[in-house]
Formats: sequence, C-alpha cells, structure tokens
Amino acid sequence: MLKRIRHMEKPDLILNIIILLGAVLNLFPLYWLITSSFKTSAAIYKMPPDWFPTTFNIGNYRDLFVGQPAFRWAFNSILVSTVSTVLVIVFSSLAAYSFSKLQFKGKNALYMVFICSLMLPKEIFIVPLFKIVQALEWSDTYMGMIAPTVASCFGVFLLKGFFDTVPDSIRESGKIDGASELTIFTKLVLPIVKPGLGALFILNFVNVWNDYLWQMLMARTKNMRTLMVGTASLMQEINPNFAYKMAGATVACVPMLVVFLLFQRYFTAGITVGAEKG
Amino acid sequence: MKKRVRLAALGMAAAMILGACSSAGGSGETKQEAGNAQTEGQPSGGSSSGGSSAGGTELTVWLTPQWKGVFSGTEEGADYDSFFKEAAKRYMESHPDVTIKVEVIDGSTRDENLSVAQQTNTLPDIMFEGAFTMSSFYHKGAIVPITDLITDEDKADISEGIWNNCMIEDEIFIYPFFHMPGTLVYNADMFRAAGLDDKVAGQYEIATWTPDEFVGILEALKAANPNVYPMALFALNNQADTWNLAYLRMFGNQFYSDDNHLVVNEDSGVKALEYILNLYNSGLTVPGAESLDSNTNNAMFQNQQIAVSFTNSVLLANLAADMESGALPAFDYRLANIPGDPHPNGFTYVTGAMVMNTGDEARIAAAKEFVKYFCTDEELVTASKNGTPVRASVVSKVSGELPYLEAYNKNDQYLFNFSKNLPGYTELRNVLFPELQAALTGEKTAQQALDDYVKNGNAILDEAKKSSVVYN
Repeated sequence: MLKRIRHMEKPDLILNIIILLGAVLNLFPLYWLITSSFKTSAAIYKMPPDWFPTTFNIGNYRDLFVGQPAFRWAFNSILVSTVSTVLVIVFSSLAAYSFSKLQFKGKNALYMVFICSLMLPKEIFIVPLFKIVQALEWSDTYMGMIAPTVASCFGVFLLKGFFDTVPDSIRESGKIDGASELTIFTKLVLPIVKPGLGALFILNFVNVWNDYLWQMLMARTKNMRTLMVGTASLMQEINPNFAYKMAGATVACVPMLVVFLLFQRYFTAGITVGAEKG
Repeated sequence: MKKRVRLAALGMAAAMILGACSSAGGSGETKQEAGNAQTEGQPSGGSSSGGSSAGGTELTVWLTPQWKGVFSGTEEGADYDSFFKEAAKRYMESHPDVTIKVEVIDGSTRDENLSVAQQTNTLPDIMFEGAFTMSSFYHKGAIVPITDLITDEDKADISEGIWNNCMIEDEIFIYPFFHMPGTLVYNADMFRAAGLDDKVAGQYEIATWTPDEFVGILEALKAANPNVYPMALFALNNQADTWNLAYLRMFGNQFYSDDNHLVVNEDSGVKALEYILNLYNSGLTVPGAESLDSNTNNAMFQNQQIAVSFTNSVLLANLAADMESGALPAFDYRLANIPGDPHPNGFTYVTGAMVMNTGDEARIAAAKEFVKYFCTDEELVTASKNGTPVRASVVSKVSGELPYLEAYNKNDQYLFNFSKNLPGYTELRNVLFPELQAALTGEKTAQQALDDYVKNGNAILDEAKKSSVVYN
C-alpha cells in the first residue's frame, strides 16, 4: 500500500487525498448516527460535542427491543420492502420491455400517460387509495402495504431506457431461432439490463423502506407496524428522545446498507449506463 | 459471478413465495389477533373504524403517546396503551355489548391520520389528545360537543382556567383529564454562583420576578459565567411557541380582541417584543435564536449551557428521572413564572378525551358513555397524576406524590388560553415564527414584525372562520 502511494504521481496523490476526505465526510453522518444511538438525548446536544462517545448507553436499544415487538417490526419492514421491490422489478421490466421492443396501437400515448403520472405526488391520491384498500379489506395487512407500491411508473421509465440500449438484432436473431417472446425477454434481453434491475432494486427498496405515510395508515395494530412507523409511535411529542430516534434509525439503516453492498456493482453500472445514454 | 446471480434469483424467488404466504398470513394473523382480542375485550375486524351491529357496538380509541402503564410507568409491561386497555376491560365487564379497541398513533402525524380518517369515514370513536392541537378538528366538524356529559359536580371539581381551554363558544369539546402547566426552569446552582441567592425560590415553589428583575438576573448570570448563556430563546419553527406567546403578553397585551382578531401589534405587544430583542442583542440569551428550536434549548439547559430555560410538568418529571438514573449530571433546578407586568403569565396544555363525529348515533352515544366512565371513575382518574390532575378531588388524593402540585394550583390565577381554540390556530402558528426570525435578525423592527404577523394572522383567522362549522 505504502509502496503504491510512494509511486503515485503528485496530481494522483492529491486527487486521492481529496477523494479520501470526501469519503470520510460522507461516512461521518453514519458514524454520528451509530455513536449517537449509544448516547443520552442530552449528550447528543453537548457542546463541544463528544466526537467519540464517552459512555456506552445501551438503554435506547433496550427500550426499543424489550417490551416492544421491534424484531417483528424489522421483519415487516424487510418483508414489505423485499416483496414490493421484487414485484416492482417483475412488472416494470415486463412493461418497459413492451414499451421498448414491441409494437402496438397507442404505445406512445400510453407511455406519455405513464410519464405524466410521475409528476403526481403520492399525497394527492392517498385518500382515494385508502378508500380502495379499505373496500378490499386490506387495511392492516401486508397486502395493503405492498399492493399499491408494485405499479411503479418510475421503474418502467428507468428500465425502458436500458431496454432501448439493447440492439433490436438480438431480439430478431432470437425470433429466427424460434424463441418465444418470453424466452427472448428472459434469456436474451433481461441479462443485458441487469445493471438497470440492480439500480431499480436499490432505489425501490430504499423508497419502500423509508415510506412512512402509507405504511402508517395501513398498520393499525402494533404487530403490523414497520420499523419506521413502530419507532415513531414510541416518541412522545412533548419530550422527544433523540437518542432513541438514533437507535431506531441505526436499526433501520442496517438492512439498507446490506442491500446496497450486495447490489452496488449493478447500481454503479446502472448509473453509468444512464449517464452514457445522456 | 454466475453463482451470485443464481443466488440473487433464488433469494428473489424465495422472497416472492414468502411474500405471497405472508400477505395471506398477515390478514389471517390480524383476524386471529382480533379474534383473541375480542375474548379479551377487543373488537374484531381489521378496519380502524368501529361499528354498530345487532351483536353490539365496537369502539376505537386513538391516543398519542402520553404516559406508560395504567397508573405508573413502573408497572410490569407498562406501555402507552395500558391505561385505556385496562379502562376498556373494566368497562366491558359491565357493558358486554360494547367492544373497545385501543390504538396508539404517532403524535407527529396525528393531523395526517385524522384528516385521512375524516375524508374516508374511518374516524376513531374517541381521541385522547391535547385540546389546542385538536380544536381545529372541532371546527371541521370531526368532534361532537360533550357539554351534556358535564355535571355541576364536574364543573366544581375542575378550575375555570381549565374549562376555558376546553370550550369553543359555549360548547365543551374535550373532557379534561390532566394538564401540563408551562413555566420557566432555572439552574439554582448558577444563580447562587452569581450571587442571586435572594432570587432563588423554595424547592417546590415557583419564583415570580418582574421584567426588570429578570434583566438584572440575566446580567448577573452573564457576568458570573461568560461560558453559560443566561436565557433560552428559540424561533426556528412553531415548536413550543407557547412560551414566545407568553413573552408577547409580558406587558399586559391581550393578544386577541373580543371579536377574535389579533391585537398583539398594540403598544404593549410591541414593548414586549422590544424587551426580548434587547435581551437578545445584549447577549443575555442564547445566540442564533432564529435558527434554534426548543429541543436544542432544552438539551442545552440539561447540559448546563443555559441558566434559564422553559419547561412543563412532563419535561420537569423527565429531567428529574434522568438525573436520578444518572443519564444527566445532577444540579439544583427550580421553577419560575414567565415574568410579567403587572402580573406573570401562565398557561397550560390540557389533555383529555374527545368524542369523534363518526356519523353513527349509537357509536357516538356509546363513546360518550365510555369517556364519562374513565374520566370520572374514582380509581381510574387517579392516573391523571402522570400529568397534573385537573380535578381537585384527585389533587387532594395524590398531592403527596406530586410536590409541585400546590405551586401549580396557586398559579391557576395567571392562566390564559393561548389559542382561544380559534379556527385556524394551527395555521396561525406558522406565521409567527418567521416574523420573530425577521425581528431577531434585524430585518424588521418589533413593530413591523408584529404588524405583519397581525395582518397575515387575521387573514388566516377570517378564512378559517368561513369554513368553521361552529360559525356557519
């Protein structure tokens, strides 16, 4: 390592130092989050701050996990985010492939409707959506939390861009060889757009994981809450314990970090492809 | 690489199967839970709303986190819903035709929860929450008046200052349970170190200082310890803005006219804001108040970086508990009134039960009965000691457990209703702090800031009045 640094040219060295500083700066919030979760609420506000925790208080985690079904909340969060994301990928990739490669009447108009719906904030249709879910008796069920999230216009938009980069000749050669449309889609085209699927997985997983309003409206019983909703329900408005919030946020961010680490290669590749496409 | 892809595909497939099972399991489990709950006196059905049928009446109670346990947080399994579950259990023993479901909702999203519930006809039957945060829902027709529930005995048992907080026009919309008086809190150790022994009141008393005395106190504190900010001040958002409202009444301003319009830009209001600005500009408060919130100030007081801060009975109890548990280093803290001329000003947050307008007369009647039950039952109502009890009859029973009770009761004479439960009060809060920020940064004079607040605020009040069911 030292040898490599010694052999580096000056501009490279400076650039690496800048990048290293940037990385430290970016990691600092995570460090602060985790260390603050072991502090008391008052210690978080201490001036000058304790850059390194002087005490190790596990009380926040104890309050979170003892007496509250926090493991169940974590399970709910993982389940809802994972299932929703898998379904989003399935439906979005099918729709995006159709928009990109198939020819049918009204394709462009329909795609425009998809794009336009991206401009609508979720809060606008939360009441009618709630009414539908109530009518279907999906309130306080996983179905109620997952079903409304699986139709993702953003997913279709994102993946269509990736499918557009796949040469039509691949599909045509598949056709010549007698492959069905489904075989062409699953065996020939889908593997090429893996970076896009990875990027969508991360983006959607984080989106559903962090979703608060809808999950709060759906989860009426304690056991059906997700980690975000469950942790928030323990906070007294008049006396918010921020160390408690930090502990909840730490627990909530761990699965996201795992997902990112697992899919980061695809995510980076996905972003790059998008950039190239310009 | 291939292995990883296969693994990911396997994971996805497993997740899908798991998801499919869990979706069904989720519903099933809810039904199972509800089924079990019913035998324990809980309602069936996954819906948040209750209902009435030939089989009986189902009621839903919503509450934001208030206190843990039935009577105390030290009970085994104490949780925020313990009291209401116990009350429901006891009530259902004598009313087998009624089932009651209790749900704790997040206080920070209370308005969103209630708005969606009102628009989708899924309001709970009973809401247990603070009066001033809920009055806007009374104006929207979401809460029914409960004046008919209140007896002469109740009126005599609860002070007039409390009842004022529970009324809109001539109707009572909330059954008061407990309240949280707001005062100042000061670090008595710092006072002594600054030679202010004569300004320190008794351990369980509330000190009263005139505005002039208060300036002297802050100056002495600053001179004695330049590393400590003498006074807390915040205007980042509407959080804990009630203390700022109290400061603006410092020189006798009434804040609202008889016809419910803002009059805080009168001379007395301007004088009060100028007084605060002078403290700020003289370095007698925490600096950068325009970008600080109340939580930061509170934490700074706990860390002994501020000498005089704000508090209420719940914050005070938590401060004591944190010191006892060692979470905070102990120091001598005491209470003080918000200074005023000719008298100090006090306010309180009243919390209680509201009967929601579900449109179902049978449920509304049943909800009223249950509210009456837990707000008057001799044993259950002693749980109000987790705040400051509103009933004199409870105060006499638990005064030994609550050392500040006598001082709070003495302060009843200074109580003002800071919101007057006006329609649009919630929106009104959002136009005050930007004006305070402008005054603190010197962008506006005290007069300009209050003129603009009055202009914008009155427009909000007029607009809200137009859509209030009370006035239309």
